[in-house]
Amino acid sequence: MKTLAIDTSAGTSIAVLDRDLVLAEVNYLENMTHAERIGAAIKEVLAKADLKPVGIDRVVVGLGPGPFTGLRVGIAAAKFFAIGSGAEIVGVCSLDAIAFDFFKQNAAANLLVTTDARRKELFWATYTGVTNGIPIRDFGPAVNKPEDIPTSGLLTTDLVVSAAALGQIAYNLGAKAQTEITPIYLREPDATPGKGKKVSG
Amino acid sequence: MLIREANEHDIDQIMALEKTCFVNDAWSEEVMLSELEAEHTFYVVGFVGDNLVGYGGLSKLPGSHQADIQTIATAPAERGKGYGRAIMQALTAQAIKLGAEEIFLEVRADNKVAQKLYEVFGFKRIGVRKKYYQPDGVDAFVMQTSLVRQPLVLGIESSCDETGIGIVRGNQLLANVISSSMDKHAIFGGVVPEIAARAHLEALNPVLNEALDKAGVDLDEIDAIAVTNGPGLAGALMVGIGAAKALSVATGKPIYAVNHLVGHVAADILANGKVETPTIALLVSGGHTSLLLVRDLLKDVVLLGETIDDAAGEAFDKVARVLGLSYPGGPEIDRAAKDGSANAIRFPRGLTLPKDMQDHRYDFSFSGLKTAVARHVELGESKGEKLELADVAASFREAVVDVLVNKAVSACKEYGINRLLLGGGVVANARLREYATEHCEAEGIELRIPPLSLCTDNGAMIAVLASQLIAAGAIPSTLDFSAESTLDVRVVQS
Repeated sequence: MKTLAIDTSAGTSIAVLDRDLVLAEVNYLENMTHAERIGAAIKEVLAKADLKPVGIDRVVVGLGPGPFTGLRVGIAAAKFFAIGSGAEIVGVCSLDAIAFDFFKQNAAANLLVTTDARRKELFWATYTGVTNGIPIRDFGPAVNKPEDIPTSGLLTTDLVVSAAALGQIAYNLGAKAQTEITPIYLREPDATPGKGKKVSG
Repeated sequence: MLIREANEHDIDQIMALEKTCFVNDAWSEEVMLSELEAEHTFYVVGFVGDNLVGYGGLSKLPGSHQADIQTIATAPAERGKGYGRAIMQALTAQAIKLGAEEIFLEVRADNKVAQKLYEVFGFKRIGVRKKYYQPDGVDAFVMQTSLVRQPLVLGIESSCDETGIGIVRGNQLLANVISSSMDKHAIFGGVVPEIAARAHLEALNPVLNEALDKAGVDLDEIDAIAVTNGPGLAGALMVGIGAAKALSVATGKPIYAVNHLVGHVAADILANGKVETPTIALLVSGGHTSLLLVRDLLKDVVLLGETIDDAAGEAFDKVARVLGLSYPGGPEIDRAAKDGSANAIRFPRGLTLPKDMQDHRYDFSFSGLKTAVARHVELGESKGEKLELADVAASFREAVVDVLVNKAVSACKEYGINRLLLGGGVVANARLREYATEHCEAEGIELRIPPLSLCTDNGAMIAVLASQLIAAGAIPSTLDFSAESTLDVRVVQS
């Protein structure tokens, strides 16, 4: 079971795994170059893993939350890579990847994961540990101002989303992985209905 | 003669003609029916009025690069009128569409007229089947012609509120599927970029599947992928770009990043086989109002002018709101204007005064016009007058159309080009088409208006533009191109 994992909820992170073993991973941390990076990054990681696109059985994509424009680039790419290569596609909450990596190195604890949501807000979720290789999320994902997010008694982490972790979570989920590919936006589009007709004066 | 694909309801007329044309070796009705209904065959019938005057059939197995002309017949009384040639043309076009690289046929050795016809289409004798036609004992000549295999290109367009995926073979349109998020923008009175981008992501898979289905091709048959990389809404463009790049990597097919505006000009190829150049092109939509001088589609496109504020389609949307009409404004205003007088109110024509014409000869401005309509309406309201909706709508529309067409026509005259091409969604406006037709006729300018499905944003125009690039030997784009919301019209490929 070969997996291509893609996440653009923060930077551009792409990994190739054989079962839960990471064969290759590339991470571009800048958060405004997803559309430029995505094609070459997928090609690069496949080359590093010495795999052809048809060798991929499953595409795993980070569903966010994350800044919308970048997030969509990865999901769009994952959808069409899956169609083009004949692989199946599943989605995982991007914040889960951070919790997964945290609990690899730390014992079970109450963990707060936050990422930048722009507009002086944070995307966040809390976790209590990992069972069978799957992070246990007890709240979230949600979006709030930093002052409205509870912190007492919670550990935090500097880790960032890694596609390799998403691939491992999806492998551990097996057939229970989510096949509906819908971005986790958590915010309505920023638009207000028309103001009525007075436009002069 | 009208040519269309045959169906089983044509069988009686076909069989009557079959028995007339092939006296001793006519097919049975059973054989003919199974030919009409087979998956891998394509039969056409030619009618003059209600009378069948000819038919012909082609066979092309999927995966094979060879096609066969199965039969072709013209009613004896109708021969020498070019009907046989037209049927051959339809069959050959279909063979190219299906990716055939050569076509074979058998013809009676004693039928010199038919052999002459086939030679016109490039067929040459490559062999003889002895006594093939029974019971007459006549030999068959086997004839063959080679076709230049045209590239199969899939084009992805997501620059505004339409997710479009089109598939072309060379210059031939195979599929043009569009999913519009227009309804979702209605309550906002205009396109909301975030809503458009969300809709693109949702539409990707269904639109791709429908396009492949309509074209009758598999993804692995595609030779190249094309995508719009600008100009347009950045967040919307990025959905198409992300999808296209991943599809290119997954399938190993080259990718071509192309210019949306030049794509609108290229749409004419799908309607008319080619873009006659030089031409002036007027592109009017909710996002663009651009006047182009096209001397060479791929090498020499110049922006003569564009809107300095609202696009023409945007002006329709905003004025529709002023008039209490819904979104999109173009069709609503067209409807409201039906019984109105275009000359009832003299609304301003933007950038047409002598002082403006010096700096903005071919630029457009619709913001002042919108304000003038709003003032007219508010003034009437404050006086307690009833709004003459039809007159206001007709007079506003006339002001828009008047400026658009007059600037385009004067560009034709200044550059000595007797050709004008229209593109963009606002071409749906009946008054624009009518006014352009009248004025071009009066000035001796040839007006070209592709069908509306090719005028609005679509993936087929992107595919056919890339197809021209491929034919001209352009090298594919590298995978690192970006979304360019203000891409210069001179950059045909990024």
